[in-house]
Amino acid sequence: MPETVRNYFGAINDVVQTFWQGLSVTLSHMFRRPITIQYPDRTEKRVADMLPSRYRGFLEVDMAVCTGCLACARACPIDVIKISVDKDPANPKQRVITQFDIDESKCMFCGLCVEQCPTGAIAHTREFESTVRVVENLVFRWVPDAAKPVPFYRPVKGQDAPRASVGSIMRAYLVSQVWAAPAPDWAAPTAGKDKG
Amino acid sequence: MAETVVRRILGRMSPSDEEIVINFGPQHPSTHGVIDFVTQTNGEIIRRSIPDIGYLHRGLEKIGEAVGYPGYMPFTDRIDYLAAMLANEGYAIAVERLLRIEIPPRAKYLRAIAGELCRISNHWVAVGTMASDIGASTPLTHALREREAINDLLEELCGARLTFNYARIGGVAFDAPEGWAEKILRYLDHLDSYVQEYDRLISLNQIYVKRLAKVAVISREKAIAYGLCGPNLRGSGISWDTRRDLAYGAYPEFQFDVPVGQGKMGAVGDCWDRYAVRVLEMLESSKIVRQALAKLPEGEIMAKVARKPKPEAGEAMGRVESARGEMCYYVVSDGTENAYRVRVRTGSFMAMGIIEEMSHGLMIADLIALIASLDVVAPEIDR
Amino acid sequence: MKITTALDSTSLTTRYPKTALATTLFFMLALPFLLYLVLLLMLPFNRPEALDAVAQRLGWDLGHSPLRDTWYAVILLVEATIVSLYTAVFAGVTTWVERRIAGRMQSRIGPNRPGVFGFMSWVADAVKMLFKEDLIPAEADHLLFRAAPYFSMVGLTLPFVVLPFGESVVVADLNVGVFYLTATSAFVVVGILVSGWASNSKWALFGAVRGAAQVVSYEIPAGIAIMVPVMMAGTLSMQGIIRAQGGWPWQWFACQNPAAFVAFFIAVTASLAEGNRTPFDLPEAESELVAGYHAEYSGFRIALFLMVEWANMWIMGALAVTLFLGGWQIPGVSVEMINQTRGTDVFPTLVWFGWQFASLMVFAIKTWLLVILFIWLRWTLPRVRVDQMMSLCWKYLVPGAFACFIFTLFWVMVPASVHLVSGVVLSVVVALLLVKFALRTRKNIAQVKGASVDLSNW
Repeated sequence: MPETVRNYFGAINDVVQTFWQGLSVTLSHMFRRPITIQYPDRTEKRVADMLPSRYRGFLEVDMAVCTGCLACARACPIDVIKISVDKDPANPKQRVITQFDIDESKCMFCGLCVEQCPTGAIAHTREFESTVRVVENLVFRWVPDAAKPVPFYRPVKGQDAPRASVGSIMRAYLVSQVWAAPAPDWAAPTAGKDKG
Repeated sequence: MAETVVRRILGRMSPSDEEIVINFGPQHPSTHGVIDFVTQTNGEIIRRSIPDIGYLHRGLEKIGEAVGYPGYMPFTDRIDYLAAMLANEGYAIAVERLLRIEIPPRAKYLRAIAGELCRISNHWVAVGTMASDIGASTPLTHALREREAINDLLEELCGARLTFNYARIGGVAFDAPEGWAEKILRYLDHLDSYVQEYDRLISLNQIYVKRLAKVAVISREKAIAYGLCGPNLRGSGISWDTRRDLAYGAYPEFQFDVPVGQGKMGAVGDCWDRYAVRVLEMLESSKIVRQALAKLPEGEIMAKVARKPKPEAGEAMGRVESARGEMCYYVVSDGTENAYRVRVRTGSFMAMGIIEEMSHGLMIADLIALIASLDVVAPEIDR
Repeated sequence: MKITTALDSTSLTTRYPKTALATTLFFMLALPFLLYLVLLLMLPFNRPEALDAVAQRLGWDLGHSPLRDTWYAVILLVEATIVSLYTAVFAGVTTWVERRIAGRMQSRIGPNRPGVFGFMSWVADAVKMLFKEDLIPAEADHLLFRAAPYFSMVGLTLPFVVLPFGESVVVADLNVGVFYLTATSAFVVVGILVSGWASNSKWALFGAVRGAAQVVSYEIPAGIAIMVPVMMAGTLSMQGIIRAQGGWPWQWFACQNPAAFVAFFIAVTASLAEGNRTPFDLPEAESELVAGYHAEYSGFRIALFLMVEWANMWIMGALAVTLFLGGWQIPGVSVEMINQTRGTDVFPTLVWFGWQFASLMVFAIKTWLLVILFIWLRWTLPRVRVDQMMSLCWKYLVPGAFACFIFTLFWVMVPASVHLVSGVVLSVVVALLLVKFALRTRKNIAQVKGASVDLSNW
């Protein structure tokens, strides 16, 4: 009998203690700073500039230092990088890249391509904001016009490749991107070999 | 295909006139992913509840035969995205065993640090969602807030917040950045002092305890018979931890306890025990990370591995203590650059088996508590 | 650098701050105050005698003509409508208060973009609900499905007739006020049951049956606990019970009788259960039943159910304040003092209106504090299970309420000085407990490394 009485009033006491502790914890949180970052207009800087430097955002390619080795296209497990190379008609010793498309709508931002690049031409940026009306426009074309192909870069021994600062090319690309652009009409396949 | 499975499940249920068969899910806030529990119940008391899985099947094991060994690493993230570092590590260990290479000690330590931080992050989600399923929504946001700090730490390390793709075959992808260790230690100081507040808010809350104590008690024999692993197994009082008993990587060099369920609030192996094991494991992981940071050796972070490795024909197992249980990767190679077979055995899949047995006589609210206490996630079950 | 999307990301509030402030202030102050003011102005015409006196003054001879009765009925109808409008506005404002409080308790900000401090979010939600598609499941019982919210609305608005807002600010001070209130507020469960059944969904049925069991069970301890202040005051009339108390905390019924102190907590717990608030929100347990009895409702119909749930908090709070916490009694001001300022004319003096307004504010503040307590409890506690809810009611609350009742039977025979002593002692105990609670709260922040008091980020 005293056991049950003790349990009964013990249960009531436990519940009162519980209320006391729980309510004091939640009240104390009212006086602490919420961790919400009021994106996108009430932050001190652009959020993309507050991210760590290793952040794996959109891929950008500095075509000026791309050696055309196709390592990134081969490393990608889901084949979102499509590169076409050809011989330069004007200069048979020089090879050119006629197509370098990265399908950002399918990219999983894993970074395997970036690791394989010998010059750092392809790199992850900290940009992550890009919405377009037509999903095909999320294929970022780093050689925009197949008629103006980009020659392979020849790395100089002992020197780092003169790559533009990471993110600058992407920012320019995103500013020029038009949200409501119509769907692209696909370029006809190039005469050269398709790789990737 | 799912329709036939459901019909087969329904065929096993023979509801009497007073019983109804309802679907818990696949769209349901508390089933931890798209899982359907076909439940035969008499009002509140359940007769049996059979899980119908497969709604999140993505063919991840088949993908392992197509993308090559290094290319599969991002996919291991997706097998268990809440504990991605540990999933990465398991696959890396299996392939390293196939290639018969040793990884540098600094890589082992970095994998351990990242893995344990990921375990803390996963356990925050587990305890937070469990509290939310029981009805308290505030502990969920607090747990996610704590997890945000770890997300930020791992974002500084490897650039991603969820699907890390950090381990590589032969080591790890990135070295620890400047100032990272100090940030981790600052967070761990905060964590060690914060868990007591979280306990006072919810773990020791009498309403919460009464909802979980003595509910769905899994005995030792049942736990072993159904192949449970990880915190589910330890909640039933069995002290087995792959990090200690089949030690791999840098774990032999760390001192840590393995918390087991002791039936403090009810019976050994009830839902509260499994919950408490997870909270205590967070503190143990914090200890491990501190030791690892103190002893972090200098050196390389990657061994020499070919760009597209072609291991000899053979097979290997990589067993890691993932946050949700033991994760086994069984990789078979046929000498080419794609694997012949990748098989993943996850803790959540094993936990599905015990639900039907445990569901006899539970109330609906208890079924929710059981599923939450087993910490299942649909991607691990369905792959 | 501007983000090149077609949608501008800055909110209207940021772009037109002055308009936002003006709109917010209007909704925040004008609506409730307008309602209060109109109610206040109608006070003199509240009783038939006052109506006769006014008619005499103006030279009309109404006698007992049908015109006079119609006029009286019209005034009462208008007052009742204003009070119902008040329920809607209160429900809306409470959603905003709840979401902001819940936000900061959860380390996040609540709604803060529509209007200043996000105050217009409830207006936006109300308008949105009006525009949503009205879905009725094909197999549902169409008539009952459509009728169910109105049953709940009846259970919500009828009690407002007897709820006192100020010293004379009440639509109808029935001499069976408390009884009427408990009876009509039970109507809400009819709406729950009917909606659960008519939805033709097993989940909704679960929620409905749980809800019915819950409300019906908790009527018992609620009723008995409510009898305690009724016995102490000797009347069932709401205004009468308040008049038997005083303004200072030691004159409140909750402090004047230790059994009433316990009965206060029993009444509050039982009210929480009847209003389906956490920890008793089983009928609509979101993580189990996915919205329970109103799972199949959308658009304005569910807005009605939600309005009932939130406005019910006012009834719960007002009931507790009336019975236990001294109602609208202003500390230091007695009812005779207010009556003396009325003057002998038909229209009361401005001073009298001022005192009415003060009593209105006292009542509103006390009720709002209780409402905030209910919100606070919701976001702290988990949910109880069905059998635990039943055992709590029958094994703990009902015997406790009976014990308080029997104690009070003897307590009312004790001289008034003992009541005063008990009042002072309990007031001091409560004050000390509040201080201890504040210290514990401050200690919470000090105990966690990296936490500090920081009131920024709204």
